[in-house]
Amino acid sequence: MRNTRYFVVGAIGAAAALTLSACAGSGTATTVPEGAEATIGTPDGAGKTLTVWAMDGDLSTASLEAINAEFTKQTGAEVDLQVQMSWEGITTKVTTALATSTPPDVFDLGNTQIPGYAANGGLLDLTPYKAELEQGGTWLTGLELPATVDGKLYGVPSFAGDRAVIYNKTVWAAAGVTEEPATYDEFIAALDKVKAANTATDFSAFYFPGQYWYAGMQWVWDAGGDLATFTDGEWTAGLSSAEAQTGLNEYLEFQNTYSVAASQTVDIHAPEQTQIFADGKSSAFLGTSAEVGRVKEANPALTDADLGTFPFPGTSGQSQPVMIGGSDWGIAAKSKNPELALAWTKIAASPEIQNSFVYATDGWIPNSVEAVEAAQGEGMSPLTAGFFAAALNSRATPAAASWPTIEGDLSINEFFAAIASGAQSPADAAKGFDSHIESVLNGN
Amino acid sequence: MSTSAPPRTAVGAASTRVPQRDRRRGRRRGRRRVGANLVALIFSVVWVFPVYWMINTAFKPRPEVMTAQPIFFPQHPTVSNFVNAFEQSNFLLDLRNSVIVVVSAVLLSIVLGGFAAAALSRFRFRGRRTIMVVILAVQMLPPTALLIPTFLVFNELNLLGTFVGLVLAYVATVLPFSIWVMRGFFLAIPYEIEEAAMIDGAGTWRILRSILFPLVLPGIIATSIFAFITAWNDYLIAYTFMKDSTMYTLPIWLASFSNPQSGTDFGGQMAASVLFSLPVVVFFLLIQRKLVTGMSAGAVKG
Amino acid sequence: MRSSTVDVVPSGGEAAVASSPQPHPRPRPKKNLAPFWLLTPAALVLLTLTIAPILLLVGLSFTDYDQKSLFTGAFAGVGVSQYASIFTDPEFLWSLVRTVLFATALVAGSLVIGMGVSQLLTRVGRTMRYVVTVVLIFAWAVPNVASSLVWVWLFQPGYGVVNWLLTQARVFGDMTDVNWAESPALAYTAIWLLIVWQAVPFIALTLNAAQTQVPAEYFEAARLDGANEWRIYRMITLHFLKPTLLLVAILSVIWDFNVFNQIWLVSQGGPGNATSTLGIWTYKTAFVGFHLGEGAAIAVVTTAMLMALTAYYIRNLLRSGEEL
Repeated sequence: MRNTRYFVVGAIGAAAALTLSACAGSGTATTVPEGAEATIGTPDGAGKTLTVWAMDGDLSTASLEAINAEFTKQTGAEVDLQVQMSWEGITTKVTTALATSTPPDVFDLGNTQIPGYAANGGLLDLTPYKAELEQGGTWLTGLELPATVDGKLYGVPSFAGDRAVIYNKTVWAAAGVTEEPATYDEFIAALDKVKAANTATDFSAFYFPGQYWYAGMQWVWDAGGDLATFTDGEWTAGLSSAEAQTGLNEYLEFQNTYSVAASQTVDIHAPEQTQIFADGKSSAFLGTSAEVGRVKEANPALTDADLGTFPFPGTSGQSQPVMIGGSDWGIAAKSKNPELALAWTKIAASPEIQNSFVYATDGWIPNSVEAVEAAQGEGMSPLTAGFFAAALNSRATPAAASWPTIEGDLSINEFFAAIASGAQSPADAAKGFDSHIESVLNGN
Repeated sequence: MSTSAPPRTAVGAASTRVPQRDRRRGRRRGRRRVGANLVALIFSVVWVFPVYWMINTAFKPRPEVMTAQPIFFPQHPTVSNFVNAFEQSNFLLDLRNSVIVVVSAVLLSIVLGGFAAAALSRFRFRGRRTIMVVILAVQMLPPTALLIPTFLVFNELNLLGTFVGLVLAYVATVLPFSIWVMRGFFLAIPYEIEEAAMIDGAGTWRILRSILFPLVLPGIIATSIFAFITAWNDYLIAYTFMKDSTMYTLPIWLASFSNPQSGTDFGGQMAASVLFSLPVVVFFLLIQRKLVTGMSAGAVKG
Repeated sequence: MRSSTVDVVPSGGEAAVASSPQPHPRPRPKKNLAPFWLLTPAALVLLTLTIAPILLLVGLSFTDYDQKSLFTGAFAGVGVSQYASIFTDPEFLWSLVRTVLFATALVAGSLVIGMGVSQLLTRVGRTMRYVVTVVLIFAWAVPNVASSLVWVWLFQPGYGVVNWLLTQARVFGDMTDVNWAESPALAYTAIWLLIVWQAVPFIALTLNAAQTQVPAEYFEAARLDGANEWRIYRMITLHFLKPTLLLVAILSVIWDFNVFNQIWLVSQGGPGNATSTLGIWTYKTAFVGFHLGEGAAIAVVTTAMLMALTAYYIRNLLRSGEEL
């Protein structure tokens, strides 16, 4: 067929044209002069629609609808709420969405994911609006820090979640432990009693999966170590430091003493740590408030009266610092409605929404210190109290653009599993992992 | 070959011994058949086990799913996992999405591919062989090789995350083998029939419509089923291109049951897997006889 | 045996028509534009949706297109440096080695088992033949997304039925809590089983279809000649199966080289990058790290290797009598 050649030529032309137009593409966000403050105000959105991307399992529909109702009342604009069902492959989806020329306007982003999108220009710089968005409060460090890249703010804290010890009061009482331990020594003493009273080979006094890096990091932080620090434009990994090594050795001893050998190489979901707890194969584990729900679902015989929560006591004398998980609201750099998006985000971060919905309706930890204290002042169920108490001492993962790679390639899971299983000594494991962290974070 | 071809004379010479040997061989063969049947039985049990376990789990109530001692028959069989799939999740919505996208892609590919197959089978022209080779080569491309550029082009054209984009991506996937397979069916129709019609003065279009098309219809249906299965099963393209969860197709819905945060509801996931697999299994059983036909073009990878 | 590939269809049926003696299309008496019009729509679609993207892929492989480019549109040409970096990246070379070895193990496993089952099918009674065929079709038909999820469930630490069965077998000790995703060897084993499980039906049924076409006289004659079964299989069956076997083998190589879903859904390429074959590696580079330029370079290299295999396939296809 003679025409083939012409088709090919045409196709190359088309491809080249696309490439060129790709070069020409650029963001449409409003630009504010460097350092200047700007106001959000109440833009008129009559006839417009704002698209909001939320994650299933974060804020409830009721909370999102409350934000939307207030937003529509103030601006007259409608909200198209799109709920993502799964975190699986979320980076791919969010990147894809941010890249389109008509992206959703507001994104519900995991706090640790923000640096990546921000550094590559996917998110709108919110620094000029910071004071107005904070609304007189002090945001939780674990939410604000990861959203701050190179001194600029790219995300507005939405809510937080953290981990606390969840234990089976009935089993502990049977072993003679009736007081909630406040110090590390009391904690160890309690676990020893429980261990002595339950001799089944598959029983863990404290079930601690080896790949559970959120829990493992609490030991490193408690001992004064950290994953990596940023100085002079360079990330330096810190797991080989003396402090971190102390924490890792304590972690190794604790894991090996109180958790079954089978747990040394597994992650929390395979097998599910909640299932193991619900089946009575463990008397305690470190979990989120959502996992309390899953325990009760897996074993309806366990009620609130059987369960208790408290912050994981640290050898430092304080409770171990927790990794604050949670979400921030980010605005797409290519958003066609940045003013409306800012107005929506401001409502979502407001004390009213945080108190009546994020905390009171959904049971999440609200976004500011003031809101947390307000919630604690109202008196809360003992099951919730443990999580709030733990939140007051929090840390976050390094705010580096490429941090998600470390979580994504599971090298951090394997690091902790290798230590727990004895495959590598804490020092050897740290040496290898430190160099991996540095090569990833510094982009080599 | 030559070594095993028996000399004719040997048969004649051995004729007296044949009955006895046949009887003995019959017994031996009978024993061997029992052995073969036994091996086949074991093979079948092993091979069907994953399917059985999928169905078994799907009918279990939650407490029977995760047990230290696996339960081989649900003690309290329930359809609640299926009911949940229908009620609680986006099953019906995503089913609709899958049907819209897959059916559009199949129709488009079959119409375009049918014409192309007719041209490639009923006419001789220069470049025909080249075209056939290109079609086959495209079919063998690694999936990510097309995914990357298509992603960028669709992003520029605002087709990413749209049904139109997904349909086009599926057409690119199934059109090549549709042409190849349908061409095979066209070739099977004797040229003389057409010739007779031409002598009667029928034009090309009429010959295609009233003579070739009816004859080749069963082949077209089989090809459509191949195409349907391929597009229906696609995970990679939809997973990469679709971002709005109201526009997911069933494979994405199915995989989203896996939840690393809070653990997977295996009962629900297996029920969902059964629902998703059902149409494909039915189609496979329907076109059983034709399954091997698509082979040379690599149409049915399973 | 007329050794056209499509000949291998069992027991006649309409499918076999595809291979009936071919009416060599003759040139029409007068110049006819019909083929041009019939072909143009499909040709245009294929050029736009497959050929042009491949050209674009090649172009892209010479740029540093990444996530930033997606958001801001900025990228630059970097010449062959992507190629230089992947060819000096030990991770890439490992990934290539893994892909080749794993594909070889898959092809070998599925061919050997497939040939065995095909042979078995000629030996069993009518009922058993039916049972095995239905079982094979079931395993074949389950979409690989579903079967991958079933696999994750079968091999679940603590609650997986395979772990339980292996523990009961008392061969490997207590396997109850073994985490298959944790060790490279175990992850490969699980994925190997999954892919072979689904590949065997196609191979077994295709080979069996070809096997049933071997004229019975040959076997009769060989038996009378006193040849043992193994010799008969080698000398007669294999001889007749050869063309089909070769095509099935090359197709398997191409498919197993391209396997994506099963690995992605079962192990995501882990632990570490232990099960990251080229396909997974490309996807992770291009769509998780969003280094699309680098991903394109890897895809170009993979494509080149596959096209060499495809050329070999087409040559054998032609040799086996397929008319192009």
